[in-house]
Amino acid sequence: MREITYTEAAREALAEQMAVDPSIFVVGEGIGERGGNFNTTLGLYEKYGPMRLRDTPIVERGFVGMCAGAAMTGTRPVVDFMFIDFILDSMGELLNQISKIQYMSSGRIKMPIVLRGCIGIGGAAATHHSGSYYPLFVHIPGFRVALPSTPYDAKGLLKTALTGDDPVLFLEHKLLLNRRGPVPEEEYKLPFGQAAVAREGSDATVVALAVMAPKVLAVCDELAKEGIDIEVIDPRTLAPLDMGTILESLRKTGRLLIADETFGPCGIGAEISAQVMEQSFDDLDAPIARLNGVHTPTPYSPSLESAIIPDNAAIATAIRDLVAE
Amino acid sequence: MAIEIVMPKLGWTMEEGILDEWIKQDGEEVAPGDIIFVVESDKALQEIEAFDGGILRIAPDAPPVGSTVKIGEVLAYLLQPGETPPFAPTARDAIGDRSAAPAIDVSERAATPPVAKSVRRSRRGGPAISPRAKRVALELGVDWSALTGSGSSGRIIERDIRARAEMLATAEAEINITPVARRVAQEANISLDELAAHYPEERVTRADVEKLAAEREPIATSAGQPLTRIRQLTRDRMVESTRTTAPVTLATEADATELFQMRQKLKADGSAIVPTYTDLLVKLVAAALAEHRTLNATLDGDELLLHSAIDIGIAVDSERGLLAPVIRDADRLSLLELASVSADLVSRTRDGTISAEDLQGGTFTISNLGMYDIDAFTPIINLPQCAILGAGRIAPKQVVVDAEAERLAIRQMMSLSLTFDHRAVDGAPAARFLQRVKHYVETPYLWLVN
Repeated sequence: MREITYTEAAREALAEQMAVDPSIFVVGEGIGERGGNFNTTLGLYEKYGPMRLRDTPIVERGFVGMCAGAAMTGTRPVVDFMFIDFILDSMGELLNQISKIQYMSSGRIKMPIVLRGCIGIGGAAATHHSGSYYPLFVHIPGFRVALPSTPYDAKGLLKTALTGDDPVLFLEHKLLLNRRGPVPEEEYKLPFGQAAVAREGSDATVVALAVMAPKVLAVCDELAKEGIDIEVIDPRTLAPLDMGTILESLRKTGRLLIADETFGPCGIGAEISAQVMEQSFDDLDAPIARLNGVHTPTPYSPSLESAIIPDNAAIATAIRDLVAE
Repeated sequence: MAIEIVMPKLGWTMEEGILDEWIKQDGEEVAPGDIIFVVESDKALQEIEAFDGGILRIAPDAPPVGSTVKIGEVLAYLLQPGETPPFAPTARDAIGDRSAAPAIDVSERAATPPVAKSVRRSRRGGPAISPRAKRVALELGVDWSALTGSGSSGRIIERDIRARAEMLATAEAEINITPVARRVAQEANISLDELAAHYPEERVTRADVEKLAAEREPIATSAGQPLTRIRQLTRDRMVESTRTTAPVTLATEADATELFQMRQKLKADGSAIVPTYTDLLVKLVAAALAEHRTLNATLDGDELLLHSAIDIGIAVDSERGLLAPVIRDADRLSLLELASVSADLVSRTRDGTISAEDLQGGTFTISNLGMYDIDAFTPIINLPQCAILGAGRIAPKQVVVDAEAERLAIRQMMSLSLTFDHRAVDGAPAARFLQRVKHYVETPYLWLVN
C-alpha cells in the first residue's frame, strides 16, 4: 500500500469531499493562496478558488459565528484555526450556539461544521501555540472530538466529519503531521467511537492519545525485549469515547495506564479512570495510573519544553511501575 | 541539635511497643502535627504525631518495622536542614552525584535510593488485595486472608490468587483420598498437601487422617507461635487479677420480658440506631451504679477510690483479642447517644483503629455472652476495677408467676453473674447492687425517672 503523510492524508479527505460536495468551504487565516500554515489546504485554492477557500482577518469570534450561521442554512463550513489555541477566542459561539442549536431546534437545524487545528507541544512554539484543550470540548454535550494519530485514521475520520451533521473538533498533533503511514487509495471512512487496538498484549493496557500513541508503541517494542507485553489502545475519538474496547482490554490485563500529553487534572485520564471504576472495578489488579505533561503553561525554551512532556524514559518507567505494582 | 524520636509510653502499663509502620520514610520532611509512625501497644494501634518539624532520618541499625522496642529507645531523628545525622552516613548522604539525565530512551530514570515500602494493609486491617484478585479469589474459591501479596507494596494481586489456586489444585490432583477421609481432614484442619506428603502413593483413608490428626496435635502446640502483644497483656492481666483479687461470683436470674419487648419496640420504631442488649444493660447498670457507688470503684493499694464518673467498659471480642473499650459517663448519655458511642467503639475495636485512650480508665465492666447461648459464668475482674457483670442469654422459660394460684407463664429470662472483689466490697452491698440491676432489667422504664 502507498504511504503518505498525515497532512497529505487529511488534505486528501478534504479535497475528495470538496469535489463531491459543493456545500463544503474552508475558512481561516492563510488557508487560501498560502495553502495553510500547516499545508492543510495546499493546492486546493487553485482548484476551488477564493469562494471556497476564504481567507479571513484575525477575528475568530466573527468568522466562527458566520460559519455557524452558514451551517444552519445547509452548507458545510470547515474552520481551519491553524493553531487550535485560537479557537478560544470563539468560545461563546462554540459553547452557546454551535454545540446547542441542534438541541434547541429539536433537531430541525443541523450544525455540520468542522473545527480543525493543530494541537500539542513541540518545536518551541511557546504557550500560545502549544495548547490541546480537548478535555474542554469533551466536557460539553454536542461536540464530537476526533484525535487521529495515524495518516489512515486522519483521512478516515475527516471523511466522517465532513459527511456528518454534528460539529466536529478535528485535532491534529503538530508532531504527527509529517509522519508517514499506509493509506489505501480506495474510498473509506472510519466511524466515530471506535478505538483502535494499536498493539496487542497481556501484561497491561495503555490508552495513548494523539502523539503519545506512536511514542508508547515505540517504547513497548523496547519493553517487549524485557518480556513486558503491553496492549496499546488509541481511542481515536474522545467524544464519543469507546469505553467498550478499553474495558475489554482491561478485562484481559487488569492494569491500566492512560498516557496523554496534555494536563492531568479533569482530563481524559481522569474520565477514563472514573468510568473504569464505575463499570469494571473488579477487573483492576492495580491502581490506575496516569501519565501527563506537567500542569503548567508551555515554556518557550526548547530544553524546558522537552522537560514538561513525558519522554520515552518516563513512559517506560510508568509502564514498568504499573506492571510491578 | 538532632531531635530524638523514641518509643513513646502510651499507657500506664506499657513497657514496650511494636513499631508497626513508618508513615514517613527516611529522608522525608516532617511538619509538626504530621503522623510519623504507628505503634502497636496496650491493645491498640496508635498513630504517633510529630511535635517538631524537620527531616526524618532513620539510622540503618534502628529497630526494624515489626520489632518490639522498649519505651524511650531511639527509633529515628528529626534533623534541621544542613544538620548531619548522629550515625554513620548512608548512601543518601552522599552528595554531588546528580549526573545529567541519560539521553537514552527507556533506561531507568536517575535512581532514587530505594525506600523500603511498608506492606500495605487495608483499612480493615487485613492484607490489601486488588479488586480483580478479590473477584478471581471468589470465582476460584481461594481463601486469601493468609496470603502474602507479590504486588510492589505487598498487595495481593491476581497472580497470587491463581498461583494459590493452582497449588491447591495440584495438591488435590496428586492425592488419592476417600471422600470420608477428605471430610475428616477438612474438619481436623489438615491440608491435602500435608496428607499427600505423609502418605505418598497411597489411597488415604479415614484412619490415616485420624492418625495424623492425633500426632499433629502436640506437634502444633510445641511448634508454637509467639504470643501477640494483646495475648501477652491479657495473660498478665488475667493472672494478676486471679492472683491478687478475692473474687466472689453472685448469680441471679431476671425476668427480661419487658426489656425484650422494649427492644422489639425500639426496633419496630425504625430508628437508625437500635440499642443492643449490651447498650441497654450499660444504661441500666449505670443507673444502678449511681445508687451503689461502692461498686463503681477502683482499688489502688491501700486506697479505695469511689468514682463519681461512671465509665463502663464493654468486653469486645476482636480479631486482635479481648478488648474492653470504655463508654464514658454512661449514666449521662441518652440511650441513643450511648448506642451510637458504643457502636463506634465496637467497630473501631474490631478493625483495630481503637486508640489506647479509649481502652483505659473504666470504672466497671460488662461482659455479655448471651449471643453464645451462655447462661451463667464467672467473669474475671478487670483490674483495678472492683466488679464485673456477666450477662447471659435471654431465653423463654416456664416460670412460676403466681405461686398461690399455681400459675405458670412463659417469660424471657436472663441470667446475671456479678463477680466482685471481696477485698473492696462486701457480699451484702454487692448483692443489693445485683438485686437493683435485676430490678432495672425487669422494669427497664425506671431509669427514665432518674
